[in-house]
Amino acid sequence: MKKPILPLLFTFCLLVLGILGAAVPANETGYKVGDTARDFKLKNVDGKMVSMASYKDAKGFIVTFTCNTCPYSVAYEDRIIALHKKYAPKGYPVIAINPNDVGVSPKDSYTHMQQRAKEKNFPFVYLQDPTQEITKAYGATRTPHLYVVQKQSDGKYKVAYIGAIDDNSREPDEVQKKYAEAALNELVANKPVSQPNTKAIGCTIKWREV
Amino acid sequence: MKLILLSCISFILLLTGFTAQAQRVNVVKFDKLQQLRNSTSDTLYVVNFWATWCGPCIKEMPYFEAVNKQYQGQPVRVVLVSMDAKQDLQKVKNFMVRRKIASDVWLLDEADANTWIDNLEPKWSGAIPATILFNNKRKQYHFVEKELKEAELQALVKQFKP
Repeated sequence: MKKPILPLLFTFCLLVLGILGAAVPANETGYKVGDTARDFKLKNVDGKMVSMASYKDAKGFIVTFTCNTCPYSVAYEDRIIALHKKYAPKGYPVIAINPNDVGVSPKDSYTHMQQRAKEKNFPFVYLQDPTQEITKAYGATRTPHLYVVQKQSDGKYKVAYIGAIDDNSREPDEVQKKYAEAALNELVANKPVSQPNTKAIGCTIKWREV
Repeated sequence: MKLILLSCISFILLLTGFTAQAQRVNVVKFDKLQQLRNSTSDTLYVVNFWATWCGPCIKEMPYFEAVNKQYQGQPVRVVLVSMDAKQDLQKVKNFMVRRKIASDVWLLDEADANTWIDNLEPKWSGAIPATILFNNKRKQYHFVEKELKEAELQALVKQFKP
């Protein structure tokens, strides 16, 4: 009679732990401004593997978690392209990473990413994070979600800005505060970033279901 | 004294106005949301942040509707706060009619989330769906930044309802 209790208790504990784990927001475990960001090796839409280390001349990166399916991301596509065109020549190219699980969000598949990149003529790389390992490491929770990192003299990538692109997703013409550009301008000028954290509404990242 | 009485009466009228027009979308600024958040009434407020374009939000919405129906006449109040832009108000209204939403629906008319999110919940990154449950009278507060399953929401409401 006593025997079945242990496995039952074990299952119960696992369940409780699972619920607790699921309740912890991902961003509490991710990077904060000032942290060192890890490099990655993810597949671009052209089939090549891309790392931050593969850009020899970059001073940093605009690591942008974004996707095909979130209307907010789509609304920001042209502005991400503009960011790249403006800041890649200054040493800060965009690296776009699609964090969504293809099982949960089929339209974020590699083929769909290739299609979207072609349609919009993305001038930046568009990488897939199929294991969601990089997304979790950075602590991204929504799309779009920006991490501007700055290369240090020792080769490490320091997180200098986390947050939004600007203050108006719906109306590009009514934007008053270009948060990401302000941070990038300061970085390019070798100044400290005065507003290194901003927030915006976005689509929750589609996590793989366990 | 007269002034206080008068403002009390108009406040009550306003409140009844809200409940009577459940099918309407109230376009509000952040101060309205903060007022709700600071409410001292012995009520469990279930405030869900959603948008018509947000798939997971729409998936969980029937669970909030069910809570709204289930606890009618009890001190449990569901408020669905839309993050749609004010320009899309008609879209929100159509959505409510199509889905027969009876809960209170607000549209938060604040283009820049960076100005208000931290004042509401610093832990919130801005991803939706997100939900807060609170009863200030009983010093209860719970925040969730993810899509809720029906059983999860039911358990939370059961845990906190006065």
